[in-house]
Amino acid sequence: MPAQLASFIAKFCFVGYWQKVTLVLWSVACLCFYFADTEIIALDPWHELLLIAKGFITPDFFATEYLLYALWQTVSFALLGCCLALLIGTPLSLVYHKPFVASVCAFIRSIHEIFWALLFLQIFGLSPLTGILAIGLPYGATFARVFSDNLQQAPATTMQTLPHNVDRVSRYIYGKVVHVLVPIKAYIRYRFECALRSSAVLGFVGMPTLGFYLESAFRQGHYQQGAALLMLFIALIGTIPYWGRVKLLPVYFILAIWALPSIPVVDSALIGRFLSQDILPPMLQGQQLQQALSADNFTAVSDLLYECSTWVAGLLYEQALPGVVGMLLLALTALGMSHILAVVGCALSDKRFSGKWLARGNRFLLLILRSVPEYILAFIFMLLLGPSMLPAMLALALHNGALIAYLSLRQADGVEASRHFNGRLDGYAYEVLPVIYPNAMALLFYRFEVILRETAILGMLGVATLGFYIDSNFAEIRFNGALLLMLVAALINIAVDIASRKVLQASLLASNRSGLADVVLNKKALSACQR
Amino acid sequence: MLALSNVVIHFDGKEALNIASLSIKAGEKVAIVGPSGSGKSTLVHHIYELLRPSAALCSQRQGLVENLSVYHNIFMGALNRHSWFYNLINLALPFKQPLNEIGQIMDRLELSCPLTQPTASLSGGQRQRVALGRALFQQQAVFIGDEPFSALDPIMGQRLLAEVLSAHDTVIMVLHDVNMALENFDRIIGLQAGQKILDCPVDELNFETLQDFYQQAGSCQQNLTAEYSSELDLAKNV
Repeated sequence: MPAQLASFIAKFCFVGYWQKVTLVLWSVACLCFYFADTEIIALDPWHELLLIAKGFITPDFFATEYLLYALWQTVSFALLGCCLALLIGTPLSLVYHKPFVASVCAFIRSIHEIFWALLFLQIFGLSPLTGILAIGLPYGATFARVFSDNLQQAPATTMQTLPHNVDRVSRYIYGKVVHVLVPIKAYIRYRFECALRSSAVLGFVGMPTLGFYLESAFRQGHYQQGAALLMLFIALIGTIPYWGRVKLLPVYFILAIWALPSIPVVDSALIGRFLSQDILPPMLQGQQLQQALSADNFTAVSDLLYECSTWVAGLLYEQALPGVVGMLLLALTALGMSHILAVVGCALSDKRFSGKWLARGNRFLLLILRSVPEYILAFIFMLLLGPSMLPAMLALALHNGALIAYLSLRQADGVEASRHFNGRLDGYAYEVLPVIYPNAMALLFYRFEVILRETAILGMLGVATLGFYIDSNFAEIRFNGALLLMLVAALINIAVDIASRKVLQASLLASNRSGLADVVLNKKALSACQR
Repeated sequence: MLALSNVVIHFDGKEALNIASLSIKAGEKVAIVGPSGSGKSTLVHHIYELLRPSAALCSQRQGLVENLSVYHNIFMGALNRHSWFYNLINLALPFKQPLNEIGQIMDRLELSCPLTQPTASLSGGQRQRVALGRALFQQQAVFIGDEPFSALDPIMGQRLLAEVLSAHDTVIMVLHDVNMALENFDRIIGLQAGQKILDCPVDELNFETLQDFYQQAGSCQQNLTAEYSSELDLAKNV
């Protein structure tokens, strides 16, 4: 017996760092899957799936005259949103080292575009302003951080060799900015792609972008029309390098402004009421507190404050807590599923393992899956499977898994297999997988932040996450509750942001210490993963 | 022009430079020699800080901007001569006058690449000449160089040194090549372990005295660096 035990322990020694991480990830994901609501509530999913498939085989590009209009609106919201973001982010990046600026930016960033849109919708209504602000504000805060990070990394030697008495502007531009212009340009390009996706999704809250027409087409069962819209959208994102030229941007900009729907007059009284009344807790909305304060009525004041705190506590307990638990269950399950999908997708798309044609087909599939926003995928799955967490899990796993597989593939293509590579799964697992695995895992954990943010949004489709409660509060015109929950969502995002950075640093150290592999964090891949 | 007394500079708790007194007059051409790690770079950087308003520095850390063209990298030497608005426009649409002037500088530096070439694609010798071009384009009275020709062949180095000497009133330069120092400069300062152990006009020096200085430095240091002894051999052969 002891000999057997010893041999067992000796075998266990081969379970290295990444194997342990993987096992933990899978067990956590399985546990979360068990507790999550994954019931399929659909009368006949196969029939519906067949209809959708038929729609994709025979897409109808001429069903609606809105097709091109919707596409153009999607582009113009994204473009104008990005321009606004640049206007906000560029000056802020110069003062980003001030803790106050950094924390305000972190807060703005931590609220998702759709939540911003929901908020602005109450103030500006269905005005283009809502869409542009919803994209421009969080993106501007992100630009501020990324630009300032980049500027900090600029080499200092150039400043030292500049002549004496150079004015501050020239000094800054020639000494710092030009150093980082290339990575910053690449980042803006990437963000523009993100803005296109966000802009499309904004249609789901009523903006006249692609999402709006997509939702109505799918809801009414016009799958041919919906499929055409989706295909055009994927083509639009896939062809950005061809039409997204810097020289053409001024033209697009003018066209975007020209094609904007007219901005309705903003009712300033409405905004005033929103800011001074609607967002306050119900018991503080009237004049009661002022009256009590001016009358020096201590008991009345304390009663009001007590009422207020019970209101907050009730909201936190009844809505925020279940919402957050739902978010975590969903995000962790989706993380495990993304992992499996990424590893499998990466292997199947490697031409050394699966052959030239299968690999190409798979790569195309991965391209499609990562181009479609999670939100739209979840919406389609929800039509098929009914409102549970399962559609959201699938959508998150497919989108993020495909993205990680795509980024890992780029690394795998650079891995030289030995001369006696046998072209089978075992050969792949010995020669390619160990090289790309640490990087893929790092990307996966980076992606967790994004997944968590997205889970909140998927709540608006009916999944019991924070977004669901925020959306219902907005729907019931309880702005105070919605804002409180948005605050909770923002705080969670900030906490996860800080925690994940610490965990990643620690795990990088641990993996290096275990001597398994150097995680060479591909900078480009990482910047593509930061949202 | 410059008078140093009791300069002590520390790096990471180690004494990098300790000079009791050193003065340089305007119009002098001074070469600074000494083994690696003897404090030459520290000394010239210190001098540069003191003379900064009227001096141009050509440092070993070239500070080139990889994304910018050769033209823009050299133009950066003239940033203080123009308004920020002019400089900004020049970034996108280069002006004619600096284009001509920098073209001439590139000819003098024997840089045959196009003005528009990105610096990232240059060779080591070309990069060094672009950095030198930036210092020349500052058009200052004082030139301070830290081995500005180390990546060039000695013959081209000699030609470019002549350019630098003719374009500046005062030149203070760290050199590895002892013969170059003897033939072109008025005065030679020898450093060793952060101390000034040699400072005299070139007429009082010849190759043998300098060799003595190096041997002295070597015996103090016990082991001459390999780089350094091979350089001595090279100097003997020339």
